[in-house]
Amino acid sequence: MKPTLTIAALALSVTPVFAADYPDRSIFMVVPYAAGGPTDTIARLTADAMSKSLGQQIVVENVAGAGGTIGARRVADADPDGYTILVHHIGMATAPALYRQLPYKPLEAFEPIGLVSDAPMTVISRSDLGPETFEDLLAFIKEKGTNVTYAHAGLGAASHLCGTLFMSTIGTRMTTVPYKGNGPIMTDLIGKQIDMTCDQATNTVGPITQNQVKAYAITSEERAETLPDVRTTTEAGLPTFKLGVWHGVYAPKGTPKEVVEKLSSALQAAMDDATLKQRFAQIATIPATKEQATPDALHTKLDSEIKRWDPIIKAAGEFAD
Amino acid sequence: MDIKNLAASLVLLVTGLSFGLTSFFGMDVGSALRMGPGYFPLVLSILITGIGLAVGLKAVTVSVPFHPQYAPVRSIVAIIAAPILFGMTIRGLGFVPAVLLTAISAAMAAKGQRPHIAAVIALAITAFCLAVFYYGLGLPVRLFGPWIGV
Amino acid sequence: MDFISNLALGLSAALTPYNILFCFVGTLLGTLVGVLPGIGPTATIAMLLPITLSLSPETSLIMLAGIYYGAQYGGSTTAILINLPGESSSAVTALDGYQMARQGRAGPALAAAALSSFFAGTIATVFVAALAPPLTKIALQFGSPEYFALMVLGLAASVVLASGSVLKTIAMVSMGLIFGLVGTDINTGAMRFTLGRAELADGLNFVAVAVGIFGIAEILRNLEVTVQRIAVVKRVAGLWPSREDLKTIFAPACRGTALGSALGVLPGGGAILASFASYALEKKISKTPERFGKGAIEGVAGPEAANNAGAQTSFIPMLTLGVPANPVMALMIGAMIIQGIVPGPQVATSQPVLFWGLIASMWIGNFLLVVLNLPLIGLWVRLLTVPYAVLFPAILAFASIGVYSVNSNTFDLYVMAAFGVFGYVLAKLEFEPAPMLLGFVLGPLLEEHLRRAMTISHGDPMVFVNRPISATLLVVAMAVLAIAFIPDIAKRRKEVFVEED
Repeated sequence: MKPTLTIAALALSVTPVFAADYPDRSIFMVVPYAAGGPTDTIARLTADAMSKSLGQQIVVENVAGAGGTIGARRVADADPDGYTILVHHIGMATAPALYRQLPYKPLEAFEPIGLVSDAPMTVISRSDLGPETFEDLLAFIKEKGTNVTYAHAGLGAASHLCGTLFMSTIGTRMTTVPYKGNGPIMTDLIGKQIDMTCDQATNTVGPITQNQVKAYAITSEERAETLPDVRTTTEAGLPTFKLGVWHGVYAPKGTPKEVVEKLSSALQAAMDDATLKQRFAQIATIPATKEQATPDALHTKLDSEIKRWDPIIKAAGEFAD
Repeated sequence: MDIKNLAASLVLLVTGLSFGLTSFFGMDVGSALRMGPGYFPLVLSILITGIGLAVGLKAVTVSVPFHPQYAPVRSIVAIIAAPILFGMTIRGLGFVPAVLLTAISAAMAAKGQRPHIAAVIALAITAFCLAVFYYGLGLPVRLFGPWIGV
Repeated sequence: MDFISNLALGLSAALTPYNILFCFVGTLLGTLVGVLPGIGPTATIAMLLPITLSLSPETSLIMLAGIYYGAQYGGSTTAILINLPGESSSAVTALDGYQMARQGRAGPALAAAALSSFFAGTIATVFVAALAPPLTKIALQFGSPEYFALMVLGLAASVVLASGSVLKTIAMVSMGLIFGLVGTDINTGAMRFTLGRAELADGLNFVAVAVGIFGIAEILRNLEVTVQRIAVVKRVAGLWPSREDLKTIFAPACRGTALGSALGVLPGGGAILASFASYALEKKISKTPERFGKGAIEGVAGPEAANNAGAQTSFIPMLTLGVPANPVMALMIGAMIIQGIVPGPQVATSQPVLFWGLIASMWIGNFLLVVLNLPLIGLWVRLLTVPYAVLFPAILAFASIGVYSVNSNTFDLYVMAAFGVFGYVLAKLEFEPAPMLLGFVLGPLLEEHLRRAMTISHGDPMVFVNRPISATLLVVAMAVLAIAFIPDIAKRRKEVFVEED
């Protein structure tokens, strides 16, 4: 039998039985990053909360590597039975521009389940950098140009995307200094070895409130509860400089509709979970609303983000492969 | 002739040259002040190749007897096959068959090992791994994978 | 003194029967899982992490600390018994520990490791409690130029590791360095030596390389004879170190503790050097350096002390800055967030009981480790009497599962097989694997810091000599290299003179 026929036959024979009883065993949630990182934390909290309404355990499996594309590919190739799902962040939308040989198409290879969270970014610098306000900082960068060092956590990382967007918005280039991960950047920033970066509020709230680094602006529509004194980029006069690190849950393409609906409603219930809400708030992360935790909302978000980042990344001329 | 060091030199030359040529032709080398991705590997390759030459030159000038002892080919093949079998089957066949195949392949590596003893050893190892990793530690794997219809 | 009252607060929090119980369970589980071949501390903690999440924050962190120490000691046990290191530091322990085991002295080797770890852990805990803030200030002085200089010093010291030809050792270190560079170049995103495989984009997996080059190569060496004749250990001498052994390990343990405590504070990879540096130091100052690599007990005690002290002080950047110094610390931070604690400098003031309880539990964890493991030594040593025909297939099965469990990546298993063959060839040609492994972990760091330093200084190489710490370290590195080569030169000169006479 040809492979397509086999798959079709399998799908026909198996699907109806599945959908009704789903889930009757534990579900694997693939996290395309290492255990202990921010995506892993968000996934574990979400998995816990979703398990409650699904009545089955959701096991987190870390399939790290190549900027999250290995884990995403694993799920794209998995059986579309709802027992293998994926949590991925904004990298899902930027991968097509960063990876010229991406082995899957984000919009076509997955069934979106729903959005999970959104975390704003903060523009921060070493505590003794000259400028005091965001406006001063812009003038400072325009004057010094490549003499200002901007740290990011590797191509495709949130801090890299933020820097790329920032530089393309203000039309000035700085010297970019790549790191492996956010931890070392924060150490070097507190130790005054580099000038500035832009990182998820999740990682920066602590150092900012302890005055170990200087915060200039936050890239969300509204100020963050945990950082009431940090102005938004709109307030600071640069409204087009907006981005957040959002997470979504996906299933492989071809997952039965009933299964997608079950997962999606479990996700919506999870977003209402008291523990999850509290933990998300502590790491300056906003849980998705009931309307956002739906397949349609995630599809729209993914589509618009892919279209948004494609020209920005291509203009910067950087590729991760 | 010092056969052992001649072989050692060969290993170094092959490694040095293959990494060196890849860095030189396949990557942007840059300069000492503006290093490209190929700079550091190229410097290391030159060092390795240089040492390889030095070891080789010294080896042809001296005379040392060389009587090495090797593991039988069967052992080498069986040992190396063990992790490869695991890698090829863990996702398709699942945890139980993958561990079983790995353990059988490894157990057969011992010179003079009889198949039925190897099978008993492999079964015991599989049972132990199942208890420890799957039930004890909750390793995220499937016991039997999609290739055998589960 | 302030820190004594703080420590008392911590001890009172940690010393409830409930917390002691979980610390003990954590230590036990960590030891049992960590002792499985191919499963290092990171994998052990990642696997056991979910168990701790249902507990209260204090208890959960205390249990995690127990798992951490248990896993580390378990890793050293595997290194000593079957020459299979699960992380870079135990590669050093394997050098002399495994030789001791082959001579029937596995018991004293394990005891030396446990006792010097406990000693180092005790001193380093006081260190963490008393000096965390000032040490953080020093660590923050270290930018990329300083780290680069430190790595150069580490590489210079690695030459001392060699027990054979210096030239071949340098070749091995360089080979390790170049293998470490496989993967994405972080500066440009270019793929290097990945053979077109996405799985290699993040580099070769350390556990896969270490298991291949040490473990599989060792199994192949043992299989050179028939199954009936294989015996790894000829005889088992005493289980306990003699009085003389204890006298021998005291000074190395002290020096290891000092080195480890200092290097562990540096979050940019300082702790990686601790055990290698300690081994090199002990060998250099020993009156009988020729015993090293052939079962010298100092070569076990010093690095184990350094490793454990470093493990302890690597908590400092996490506790004072909220920055993880290594993958294990990243896991701890993840666990804290899931528990509802945001790590960072504010933890000490906002959650004093938790903060000091964790520090106190470090010591308790170390203490329980000794209590647990001294009696277990008899059991571990008896493992060596398991027929080799059963032992080595089990090692391969565990190692395969362990390597796979890190990233659920099947490609890592092929890497492990390839490095097994390579390691066997290298062993037959009398190349030593330990310097290669050091190069492997240092390679990416060395290049990263070198290129970052040059980027930040806008291409000015003077940055390495203008900064006092980096300049000093580079001078020390030169001195170490000179010392390493002088005996050779002196010997040759003597030979020349003899001929002239």
